[in-house]
Formats: sequence, structure tokens, C-alpha cells
Amino acid sequence: MATIDIAGVRKTYPGGVEVIRGIDLAIGEGELVVLVGPSGCGKSTLLRMIAGLERISAGTIAIGGRVVNDLEPADRDIAMVFQNYALYPHMTVRGNLEYGLKNRGTPRAEIDARVQEAARILEIDPFLDRKPRQLSGGQRQRVAMGRAIVRKPKVFLFDEPLSNLDAKLRAHMRVEIRRLQRALGTTLVYVTHDQLEAMTLADKLVVMNGGAIEQQGAPLDLYADPQTLFVAGFMGSPGMNLIDADRLRAAGTVLPDAIPAGTGVIGIRPEDIRLEHGQLEQGVDPALSLPARVEAVEIVGAESLVYAATGTAGVIVLRQPGFWPGRADTPVTLHLPLARLHCFGKESGRKLRLS
Amino acid sequence: MIENRPWLNALTHLVLIAGVAIVVLPVYLAFVASTHPDGAFVSGVMPLLPGTEFAANYGEMFRSGMANAGTPPLTLMLGNALVMAVVITVGKIAISITSAFAIIYFRFPGRVVFFWMIFITLMLPVEVRILPTFKVVADLGLLNSYAGLTLPLIASATATFLFRQFFMTLPDELTEAARVDGAGPLRFFRDILLPLSRTNIAALSVILFIYGWVQYLWPLLVTTDPRYYTIVMGIKRMVAVSDADPQWNLVMAAVMLAMLPPVVVVVVMQRLFVKGLVETEK
Repeated sequence: MATIDIAGVRKTYPGGVEVIRGIDLAIGEGELVVLVGPSGCGKSTLLRMIAGLERISAGTIAIGGRVVNDLEPADRDIAMVFQNYALYPHMTVRGNLEYGLKNRGTPRAEIDARVQEAARILEIDPFLDRKPRQLSGGQRQRVAMGRAIVRKPKVFLFDEPLSNLDAKLRAHMRVEIRRLQRALGTTLVYVTHDQLEAMTLADKLVVMNGGAIEQQGAPLDLYADPQTLFVAGFMGSPGMNLIDADRLRAAGTVLPDAIPAGTGVIGIRPEDIRLEHGQLEQGVDPALSLPARVEAVEIVGAESLVYAATGTAGVIVLRQPGFWPGRADTPVTLHLPLARLHCFGKESGRKLRLS
Repeated sequence: MIENRPWLNALTHLVLIAGVAIVVLPVYLAFVASTHPDGAFVSGVMPLLPGTEFAANYGEMFRSGMANAGTPPLTLMLGNALVMAVVITVGKIAISITSAFAIIYFRFPGRVVFFWMIFITLMLPVEVRILPTFKVVADLGLLNSYAGLTLPLIASATATFLFRQFFMTLPDELTEAARVDGAGPLRFFRDILLPLSRTNIAALSVILFIYGWVQYLWPLLVTTDPRYYTIVMGIKRMVAVSDADPQWNLVMAAVMLAMLPPVVVVVVMQRLFVKGLVETEK
């Protein structure tokens, strides 16, 4: 268990390409922090810098109060789970679990006890004497986690550990990882590009883009109150509808006064839009009403996603509970409540408060 | 092709049998010759069935060799060839796997230059550089010694290149996992790379053993002392007798014995050999 303090960290590759542009991040003891972002945003690089697999060009990283910039990965007291698991193919599962402990000169009895314990926690006892290639993907994933657990490190580093699993197993392992991390109380830094995984796992969510942190905080805060256009579009599935304010103005739509003058983009979540077949309900105070025509309906079991084409605001996605009975080409009206609108500045892409 | 047509089966078998016959016939004739008395093979009618002198011919080769050709008993030449083949095999593998390890896993100044220097020697077989090599070995006083027989043949670009290609297919994460697990470079080499290269090493051993065993020109040049004759070049000496016909029956007995060890190696290592060539365990 340890804190991680990242201060002013930069990574520049030879040739001057800067992939991490000054990151400050404080990770508390026992916290589960998820780094999320599109590919190439630098999240994996940052994780590898914490691990010691990439050199730090500027700034400091401290684990448990000790600056680790110049320490080898083995001396940082971290354990890592790789995307492709990186199990040693010629060793048995037991050999894989033991290897790190053996290299540290841990006594035999202690090694056996820890391997037994990890195997029990992860339910891999029956496979201890098999080779990795005889295991399924999910079992290999457990072994990779076991290799991290037996070490009892201060920090776990997980680099997209679930992306090679099928959807059902992924959901299951997500819950497992959460439970395991709670039980062990070890600080965990988790990298993923999957925002659903990020939302469900994180104590603290860090959204990265272009080598910098866009926003960090509790997952629901980020979802409900994205501070930048990027975060707004990235979080949620389907993502937030982003409407070009200038096109609305140009088409003669009168925007409510509460919307700030510098607004370039108006965002609204698919679940926040009200949809009417005819006229507006009594007592509802929409900021905007847009005539639209249903383009397609996707029924995903518990809810339906309605794609409505508006002339001025492009295609807008709405989330409707249950089975939505409408068909394509039905004319509808979309009502966007003022309180649910997110306004983003034209140039900056930063959030503007409603006035 | 999974087809069930009897005439096609018969035809393919016929082709294969013909191929085998073409390859096997000379070997068979060599064996037949080695079982006949002296002179039977050059008397005009070539015998096609084994003769009666098998024990006598092979016995003479093992006991005394061909005295009139100045070659030592076969056991010594077989032993020399074995030493040469094994030293070359072990030496080549040891040097090439460590060079490939250095080239792939370390960043040192001149890494690329060294790689290309090794790579370029691929284009220069022993025969091409034989004069300068001979000069160097002679100046070092290594003529008529095991070191002289083996050292110049040990440096191997091919094997280095093969291990380099194999190491490049191993995922980087494996190296990184080992680093996180606290394995230094040497431990990583011993615990991870060597076991993973096992099938490659086996396949290469077979090829290199045979390469070492059939060396002809080089031993012919650097050995003048019969104590260091190897079997393959020894056969050449047996044929080059003065004032007499070569004793073909004895020469062929030597040929048969010279073929045995490579055959044994291939048969014993076949399973690993094929595995090493077709699959990589990752």
C-alpha cells in the first residue's frame, strides 16, 4: 500500500516527439485509479513510466514518498499485469507465480505459502502444474494477476488486462478485479481505452488526451459534469450529442438567453432528451425544441436507442426506456431541457456556465 | 490434397519409389563394394549382391587402416571427425546465441555496425577466405591441432542471424515481465531465452553437426599429420595412393562408416529437428 505522486512528468522521445506533456497526479493509498483515453493519448506510456519500463524525461514520480525516477522496475516494489499477459511459456503456472519471488531470494516455505494463497484467491489451484498454452484466455489472465499478487507489492499496474477477453468474461473479471483490490487494499493503477470499464472500476477516473490530463475525479462527476468537450464526447455510450451552436443560429433557431454568448457546441446526453410525437407536454420548460424525423431504432433489450435526424443539428441519439414503438420516418419533436444542456466554448472547448 | 483415387496413389508411390531408388542406389553399390574382396569392383563386371568379405574389410579398416595410403585406423579418424563436429556445433551455438542476445537486448554504441559486420560474413564462405584464414592459422601455430581444425569454422553468421530472428519474435512484454520480476540480463538469458530457444538449438545442432562432420577442404589443408585426419578427408587420402590401384573395397567400407554418425544424429534428433524448424513455442 502506498501513495503515488506524479509531479510535472514529461516524456520526450529522441527526435523531439513529446508524448506526455506535463502530468500532475496524486494517487491516494489503496485507491483504484483508472487512466482512460483514446489510443495514443499517452496513458500506457504514463503507466510504463510508473513501472520503470520507460525513462522519465522530466518531473518526478514518487511511490510511497520515495522518488523512483532512477530505480529499476524490480526495485520499485510494483507488480504489473500486461495486456497479452506475458506469461513465461516454458514454465508451469506455478513456475510463473514463483519466478519473481525466487529472484528475490524469498525462502522456499514462504514462496509455497504465497503461491497457495494466490492460487486459492484466484481459483487457479487446479492448473498449477499446467503450462500457459494449456489454459484458456480467462485462466491465463488469472495467472497474470496471480503473478502480481504473490509479490505483495505496494502498487499494482494493470495495462489493459481485459482487452483480450470476450465481453461476458470481461464483465465478470471487472467485478473480480474490483473485489480483489478491495480485499487486498493495494493501490492500483489501471489503464484502459474502454470507458465502460473505466466508469465501473474507478475510485478516481483520469481522462487523458494528447499526453495531458483532460479531467480527473469520481466517475459520476466526470459523467455528469464534463469540463471539456473531449471528456463530454468520450464518456458514455452512446456518447453525448454534440450540436454545433452556429449552425442552429444560422438556421434561425432562437437559443435561450441562458446559453452563454461564446458557446460553440451544445451537448446533451441521450437520456436527457424528451421525445414527443406531437405537441409539448404541459409544464415542461424546454430550452430548445427541434423537429426531427426518426432515422433508425436500435432495441437493446432494456432500452431503445432512437436516431433522429434533425435538419439543423445533425443526427441526435436518444435513449428511451424499454421497447420504443415508433418506426423509421416518424416525425417527432425533440425537447432539450435547459438544465441538462452542456455548453462548450467555441475556441477553448472548455465548459461554460449557464447564466 | 485429400483425395481417394487408387491410381493416383499408385502413381505417387511410383514417383516416390523411383526417387528413393535414384538416391539409394549409389549408397547400396558402395555397401556392396565394401563387402567384396580387393579388385572385385574394378574387374569389369560390377557385382550387385553383397559379397563375403564384410567382416574382413571392416575389420582391417578398424585395426590398421590402409597402410599403403598412410591413413590411420578408422577409429582415430572417426574420433577426430567427432571431436571436430561436436566442437564446431557447441562453439557455433554458444557464440551465435550470445551474440544475438547482445544485438537484440542491449543498446551499445556500434550495435548496428557489429550486426552488419556479422551479417556480411554470411556472404563469405570458408572457401572464399581460405587463403587468409590459412595464413592466420599457420602463423598462430595451429596447423595440425584440434584448435586449428575447429576455430576458423566456429564464427557463424547464419546461426547468429537465426537466433536474432527468433529473439525478435519474442514479445517485448516477456522481457519487461522478467525485468519487473527482478531478473537481470544474465538471469533472463538463462531462465527465459535459453529454454525458449531449445527447439531452435536442437534443429541447429543437427545442421551444424553434419556441417562439421562433412568438412573436407579445411581439414585437408591444415592437417598433414595423420593423427589429426578426419574421416571425410581421410577418404581422399585413401584414394590418392601412388604406384597401386585404390583398394575400393576398403575405401567403400570407410565411406559407409563415415555416413553412419550423421544418419544416427538425424534419426535421433528428427522429432526435435522438425519441431524446431516448423514451430516456435511462444
